[in-house]
Amino acid sequence: MLGIVLERIGLAAFTMAFVSVVCFTGLQMMPGDACTVHLGRGASDTALENCRSRLGLDQPAVTRFMDWSGKIVQGDLGLSAQRGKPITEIVGWRLRNTLILSGMAALMGIPMALFLGVVSGLRREGPLDIGISTIAIFGMTVPEFISGSLMILVFSVTLDWSAGIVLASYKAPALDLVRGSILPAATLTFILAAHIMRMVRTSVIEVLQSDFVLMARLKGVPRRQIIWRHVVPNALLPAISIIGLTAAWLLGGVVIVESVFNYPGLGRLAVDAVSDQDLPLVQAIALLFGIIYVIVNLATDLLAMALNPRLRTLRG
Amino acid sequence: MKAQRLLATTRAALAAAVVLSTAGSALAEKVLRRSNDLSFGGSESLDPISPSPFVELPYLLYDRLVVPANDGTPEPSLALSWEANESASEWVFKLRPGVKFHDGSQFDAADVKFSLERINDPALESPVAAVLGIVSEVEVVDPLTVKIKLSKPHGGLPMLLYDYRVVVLPSEAGDTIEGIGTGPFKLESYDPESTTEVVANPDHWAGAPKLDRMIFTAIPDSEARNQAMLAGQIDYNALTRDQVALFEGNPDFTIQQFPGAGWFGIVFLTDEAPFTDPRVRKALRIAVDRQAMMNLLVGEGNGTLTCDHPVTSSDPFRAEIDCPQDIEGAKALLAEAGFPDGIDVEVYTADLEPGMVQFVEVYQQQAAAAGIRVNMKLAPSDGYWDDVWFYKNSVTSWGQRTADQFLNEAWRTGADWNESHYANPEFDTLLDEARATLDFDKAREIYQAAQVMLYEDGGTFIPYQEDGRRVFSTKVTGFPPLNDEYINWREIDIVE
Repeated sequence: MLGIVLERIGLAAFTMAFVSVVCFTGLQMMPGDACTVHLGRGASDTALENCRSRLGLDQPAVTRFMDWSGKIVQGDLGLSAQRGKPITEIVGWRLRNTLILSGMAALMGIPMALFLGVVSGLRREGPLDIGISTIAIFGMTVPEFISGSLMILVFSVTLDWSAGIVLASYKAPALDLVRGSILPAATLTFILAAHIMRMVRTSVIEVLQSDFVLMARLKGVPRRQIIWRHVVPNALLPAISIIGLTAAWLLGGVVIVESVFNYPGLGRLAVDAVSDQDLPLVQAIALLFGIIYVIVNLATDLLAMALNPRLRTLRG
Repeated sequence: MKAQRLLATTRAALAAAVVLSTAGSALAEKVLRRSNDLSFGGSESLDPISPSPFVELPYLLYDRLVVPANDGTPEPSLALSWEANESASEWVFKLRPGVKFHDGSQFDAADVKFSLERINDPALESPVAAVLGIVSEVEVVDPLTVKIKLSKPHGGLPMLLYDYRVVVLPSEAGDTIEGIGTGPFKLESYDPESTTEVVANPDHWAGAPKLDRMIFTAIPDSEARNQAMLAGQIDYNALTRDQVALFEGNPDFTIQQFPGAGWFGIVFLTDEAPFTDPRVRKALRIAVDRQAMMNLLVGEGNGTLTCDHPVTSSDPFRAEIDCPQDIEGAKALLAEAGFPDGIDVEVYTADLEPGMVQFVEVYQQQAAAAGIRVNMKLAPSDGYWDDVWFYKNSVTSWGQRTADQFLNEAWRTGADWNESHYANPEFDTLLDEARATLDFDKAREIYQAAQVMLYEDGGTFIPYQEDGRRVFSTKVTGFPPLNDEYINWREIDIVE
């Protein structure tokens, strides 16, 4: 058991290292460097030189990578090209804000998705299932920038129930952010819930058709007991790893939702950094997203293992 | 006794009413809510001449020496009057007396000297040095008079001072520019990444502004800015052509259009064959129906036709030339230059700004009739301004400048931004002459002649200049239909 856990953690660490290599080389392969890109077409030679020595770009790539990754391990993400500040300082607040927003979406979305998934799985093809599934398919297929804009149009412009975009500062108290972010959180929740709900539904249907459920029914176990004892626990276990996978989608969705709603999080920062051509910052955020994804998946894996004895022994 | 008590009660009620009504008027504070687009990612500086200024603030916190009147001619601001010596190499500016900075200190000639001279401080790497690099020394004659000495004569110096970044800062500021100026608004709080507030300066020399306060919220995404407009969270925003439909016909919003937001052009390198031949260059430019091109790309009435010169229709020095499509003429010129069967040209563009690719596509279609076969090359957006533009025939994009700035920055022989590598001593002589004259009408004639020369001889195809747009809540008044440098922010008001 401990061996498996350690192996998982080791794998995760390896993945993070690999992600850092990809982030670094990816930006190396672009034309120009952080300084030509940041200073633009009017850059003088001395300005370029100053910028390069400030960011350490006058060193060979391998030296820079060793330096960069060495500092990351110590929690230092380097210097931003555009903002002239340590990236750790810039990213800190935004990371908190993104965690708040995705936390809100997860808190509302995951229980809702589990509940709706089980309900529509049990009532497969019934009117309730068809209703829920149709809405979910809308949630999955309509891009965030459309559902987000529609939310603003309906709830803010037309009904005037809520503020439109988020005007709160990046370092506003967490509660202020929560209060000002109902619409972006709802947009994320809607799509997040749709994804997970579809998966849970499928999983419930599969379990319903399994031999042990058939056996229980033949034995005459009451339906309610079948559902609560056999179907739901077995259907929810795979949902845990699905939630982990959805985190990847959530991170992508956050980038768009944050931009549409002007939410001061990591996603909007990523878009800003790209449009400001701030390569060191882009590199750091890409790495952070990678790390978050790996950690969420590691956590859900370990959780699934803890809850499901079969995963602990089923190894060849 | 009773009467007395009644009186006391009435008095109390009256007092309460007074308090309430003051509270009411405090609520009715006139606030204009705007956004800043965070284009420098939070490293925005309060220093107007910084390479990364907070672009909205210089207009509010500081004053210029000279501002443009609505017809584009110079109008006094912090400078009351000005006069040059005969050769236009030395200018004496008389300054406005009794002007105070926000911190209460007196404005005088030393502040002007400090503010103008720091522009050319190499340590600051200011982009404004490109405009005012000719200022060699500023001499304090007396507390209200300065003499500006130029390294090269310039009869249009007052117009160079229109630049919104050329403002007066207190000389005590040294290297720490914190927003203290003489302008109509005072800085109250500053955080370019979230909220920045300015309040009215009741002691402004021209009178207090009509607004009480302006609030800027950082909204980097242009779509989000529009949503904030629609949801009534901000009152004013710049607008691009494709966003007009969001607000058109909505009585809550006013859309205003003004000339001279910028232009695209196709730059042919005049030092590379066959574009070394002026006949080829002219053929490439006259083969196009500019009106049709503008109608197709930006829509009729959304720009001003121009004949291959950069000068905006609101600029008093603009040359109005007639340049209809002339396919036969273009063919004849090409034949004369040795291309009787038409010519192949390569033009580079990139998907950097909306319409930059379509610009070449439409040109390609139109020019084909004259036997000009355009081979459009789509370059990657990254590195376009570094590796493609300036080195190849390519699409260029410019913002707003004065006639003098445009012509000197982009066409004078050897100028840093001379993208077409244009080298014409006659043209340079015209620019020098224009700068040497102090007679406004004469200067206009010379600048116009220089523009005609670009149409006859230049290598850059500029079919039209696109209009700019702003949108604001209908309750906001006071914007002239001209670009931002003409806005008098003291006059902006909110009328409920």
